[in-house]
Amino acid sequence: MTPVEYGVGIGWRPEIAGYVEHLPGLRFVEVVAESVHDVLPPGLETLLSRGVTVVPHGIRLSLGGAEPVDPARVEHLAAAAALLGAPLVSEHIAFVRAGGVEAGHLLPVPRTRESVDAVVANVKRTQAALDIPLALEPIAALFDWPDDDLDEGAFLTEILNRTDALLLLDVANVYANALNRGTDPLALFSRIPLERIAYCHVAGGSLHDGVYHDTHTAAVPQEVLDLVASLCSLHRPPALMLERDGDYPPAAELTAELDAIAAASGYPAVTR
Amino acid sequence: MSSLADRQAALVAALTSGAPVPAGFDGRMVEIARVALLRKRAGEVAGQWPALSAALGTDWLREWSAWAETRPTNGSLRDGWDFARDLLSRDALPREAGAELASREAALRYDGKTSPRARRLPAIRSAAGTVALQILGRVRVLYRN
Repeated sequence: MTPVEYGVGIGWRPEIAGYVEHLPGLRFVEVVAESVHDVLPPGLETLLSRGVTVVPHGIRLSLGGAEPVDPARVEHLAAAAALLGAPLVSEHIAFVRAGGVEAGHLLPVPRTRESVDAVVANVKRTQAALDIPLALEPIAALFDWPDDDLDEGAFLTEILNRTDALLLLDVANVYANALNRGTDPLALFSRIPLERIAYCHVAGGSLHDGVYHDTHTAAVPQEVLDLVASLCSLHRPPALMLERDGDYPPAAELTAELDAIAAASGYPAVTR
Repeated sequence: MSSLADRQAALVAALTSGAPVPAGFDGRMVEIARVALLRKRAGEVAGQWPALSAALGTDWLREWSAWAETRPTNGSLRDGWDFARDLLSRDALPREAGAELASREAALRYDGKTSPRARRLPAIRSAAGTVALQILGRVRVLYRN
């Protein structure tokens, strides 16, 4: 990605399209790639006509799957990017199906050499169909594989180095993974190439049974905002965006969340 | 050691089909993930099938989870449809959910195996005491018990 600074953005969803359309300072949104079809929804057309950058975010490519990525899914991602005039696309380091069965969720891959090879092969297959950069997002995982022999930082860095991909860092995922494993979330920042961050996700979650779930259906916790501030003091990413995927709150609450991300990152508020 | 593909498939089976948790994983955390996945699917299906989830009320999450825990997702439209048909076959579909199912059965042709498709011919379907008629793609509920 060019070193353009987009500032604070938001995940575009049909349920909040009216709100997003009227954010005066907005320059960056992300849309779920699988929801993009030939005819764009009017709210998204309006944003594009205003010059807002719209990035397609894939959720079902299964880059971490042992099998090669489905060429039809890769083509759809490329077509969505072309339709939106996007400067980049993003997907997850995860698998979502195996043996012909859909998991219905992003699942962690083992952090092994064999698994790195599988991810790298799939990322390269995807990159071959794209004429813009691909950013990879590490997920929030509730459990790890028993045979992990690389830590998260080494695993990510290896994949990024071998593919030349950009990084989509989800600050809430970093928080969730560290909280659920009893580790220091800040430690990861010194182990990964922060200058490769294309943009960041910021979201809220909830505690169930003593475990933090990254649900995107609650307000962003202060701890995640503090982590955003820490990250930005080390290296401020070109864009940071709020992800909300359900239990949509009133506009005033979304505004407060966007303003809090602006305050934590030092970017101007996009809500006025 | 089995292949990465086999091991990924075994993990997916544990999370979606009631298969045993593969050796070496933290069983407690995989179980928490399995239950969280059912809860997430319940929310998505409730969005597609609002009358069905509302009719089951406080039983929704429990009833849905009992049905879904051995059935991997085919997307929330089909998941809710399969669940509603299963309830209907057991005479357990609430009357308040009848119009929703009958209307969809009249509007779309769904074989239970592939994505539902719009019907080209008129159709009349009933479910749990409700009758729905579709002509030229427009659905009317004719009779609601």
